[in-house]
Amino acid sequence: MGLTVSNIVKKFGDYTAVDGLSFNLQSPGVFALLGTNGAGKTTTIRMILGILSADSGEILRDGKPFSATGKPVGYLAEERGLYPKIKVFEQLVYFCELKGMKRREAVKSLDYWFERLSVSEHRNKRAEQLSKGNQQKIQLIAALAPNPDFLILDEPLSGLDPVNAELFKSVIREEIKKDKFIIMSSHQMTTIEEFCRDIVILNKGKTVLQGNLNEIKKARGRTKLTVKAEGDVLSMARECSLSVSEETPNGCSFDVESEEQAHRLLNMIIGAKIPLIRYELREPSLQELFIEKAGAENED
Amino acid sequence: MRTKGWQSIFRFTFVQHIKTKSFIIGTIIMCVLVAAVAVLGNILPAVLAGRDEGGNAAVGEVQFSKIYLYDDGEILDSEDITLLAKNMGDVVQSDAPLSDIEKTLCDTEEPMALVRISKADEAVFSVATRYSKAAGSGAADMLNNAVRQLISRRNLVNLGISPEDYPKTLISVTATRVEAGKDELSLVKSAMNYFVPIVVSLVLFLFIYAYGSLVAQSIANEKTGRVTELLLTSVRPLAIVIGKVLAMGLVSFGQFFLLGAVGGISFAISAPFGFMKTAFSGDSAQSLVQISGVSGETENFSEISELASELKGAFSPVNILLIILIFVLGFLFFSLLAALVGASVSRIEDLQQAMQPYALTGVLGMYLAYCPVIFNVSSIDSGEAATNPVQTLSYYLPISSPFALPSAIMLGSLSPLEIALATAVLAAAVVLMAWIVSRVYEAIILHNGNRLKFGDILKLAKRQ
Repeated sequence: MGLTVSNIVKKFGDYTAVDGLSFNLQSPGVFALLGTNGAGKTTTIRMILGILSADSGEILRDGKPFSATGKPVGYLAEERGLYPKIKVFEQLVYFCELKGMKRREAVKSLDYWFERLSVSEHRNKRAEQLSKGNQQKIQLIAALAPNPDFLILDEPLSGLDPVNAELFKSVIREEIKKDKFIIMSSHQMTTIEEFCRDIVILNKGKTVLQGNLNEIKKARGRTKLTVKAEGDVLSMARECSLSVSEETPNGCSFDVESEEQAHRLLNMIIGAKIPLIRYELREPSLQELFIEKAGAENED
Repeated sequence: MRTKGWQSIFRFTFVQHIKTKSFIIGTIIMCVLVAAVAVLGNILPAVLAGRDEGGNAAVGEVQFSKIYLYDDGEILDSEDITLLAKNMGDVVQSDAPLSDIEKTLCDTEEPMALVRISKADEAVFSVATRYSKAAGSGAADMLNNAVRQLISRRNLVNLGISPEDYPKTLISVTATRVEAGKDELSLVKSAMNYFVPIVVSLVLFLFIYAYGSLVAQSIANEKTGRVTELLLTSVRPLAIVIGKVLAMGLVSFGQFFLLGAVGGISFAISAPFGFMKTAFSGDSAQSLVQISGVSGETENFSEISELASELKGAFSPVNILLIILIFVLGFLFFSLLAALVGASVSRIEDLQQAMQPYALTGVLGMYLAYCPVIFNVSSIDSGEAATNPVQTLSYYLPISSPFALPSAIMLGSLSPLEIALATAVLAAAVVLMAWIVSRVYEAIILHNGNRLKFGDILKLAKRQ
């Protein structure tokens, strides 16, 4: 069951867009496909969807070659696409029919999703008459209405206001509860971190980090320290051989090599009776991991 | 399956296109224009020919209130004058000056005429008729013919032929001259050979080319609007091409058929009021004339009958089916080509430039279809069938045969074997084009960036 991607390669002329990517989605949940611009995410998604064929390697769904014309896959593309001059409900019925739905069941499903995403009043409007946010809701409906067990969401929250972003998140949570397989690609790391279980970070077509996010974090250990106090802690940090990675109004952040280093600094602050406002020793965030991996590779 | 889902694409493309305001308004305007042309084309010649009542009337129907007869040749006797009066109206043999009669004709609102028969020689007579406006040129022609026939009849009677035998002397002899090895063509047939290919190739070009272009536009629009990527998550690219080409083909054919039907119905409805009134009736040749065997039939009537007969033959059921087949094949050929062009651009703004080779191909095909006819104008005068090698080529070249073959079929310019061969060549070209599209389209449909040139597309085909 699930999706198996084995050693796929895609070249465009001399340029290798995806180089030997492999991953598995054996149980429902959110899988994050991350990378800088041009890393190969969209090419990978297109190969998974069957829009592009891989030069080598294989993509299996439930043990069989993946096919766009097989079981429906819900796809929210990064570059949104709707017919601007056609009424949105009509084009959504069409998209559902292309996914193999009967018109009646398509209409029923669409009625539900229009209500759920609060766009019922726009159903008979042309796409060009809708705001960008509402167009994005229509796109999400196109992905969800055929009720696929497999969803690919490329930048689902980009361009949404906080209220609508929260609405989208609640829908994604519902889909996770329905045991859907979801591949999500986004540059908003906090969103990814909120939902995903496994990740792949691509850089220039190659996999630079892969695995279960919690395990990756645990393996790194608690190496990020943030301190905010009503006194000078920087000199104490220097005494502990800690260098400042970031200084903000919320405090100073340090990269620690071991937890003992952080404890030493805490003891020094307490010993000096400096009022301590914040002390947080934590695992690196996904954003930090991403910058560390993708950024380092780009610097090379 | 590579074509699964084409039905949905077909249905959606078709419905959305015929729902557009531009299509509805355009179709209504075209229907009105076609109906107007058909009705005017039928009625106008009749109106112009007989702006007045006597225009197209038969001899029995023509009644002058007064016919002033000046028989300077002294050829007609009282029996002739009685016969003339019985069929054409009261005859007055007057001594009044001609200028007075002329003035009367000018002033009167009644149908009157002045007939003057002169004798130049023993065997040379002339008939000059002046007529009032109310009488009209058609009635005057009838009167002229009747008087001519009466003179001829009187001459034969004077030579010993009995009046009863006179009709037997009225035999009809037609003569033609045709160069050995060439077909015999009447003036009507020659004119049809000239005009039908031009009109038919232009009309077919407009439909096939314009709707082929719409296929390219539709595909380019979907690429620009990023809808293509969404479609490709459900269907294969080939299904998109098939669905779109067939949908636009049905729109094109439907509109073509609708306009043809509107034109035909308009023509049929207006037929009783126009120049075709008697042409299709079958007994037309006999309906005009009889003054004791005297024929007043006008020459152009037989041409109208011939034209009607030619048109009937041109639109026989077999011909219509063949024309439909060639229309469909031609549309498929050009729209598949257009689909490739549409897929080769990333933005709709680039489409116009990308369409240039397509446009040139279509225009070249159309010119090949009718230019040889234009350059063969002499066939109209000579009445000889055209045998032009370029025209023959145009029947077999896939870029021109969709425009050239239908008119050739309508005019019977090709033998059944030649038609079959030319259609087979076109069908093979469509299959080849479909094969190229199936190989290349999938590779270029997601192409973004600069427009793909023909060479790039060929390279992709090779790589595929």
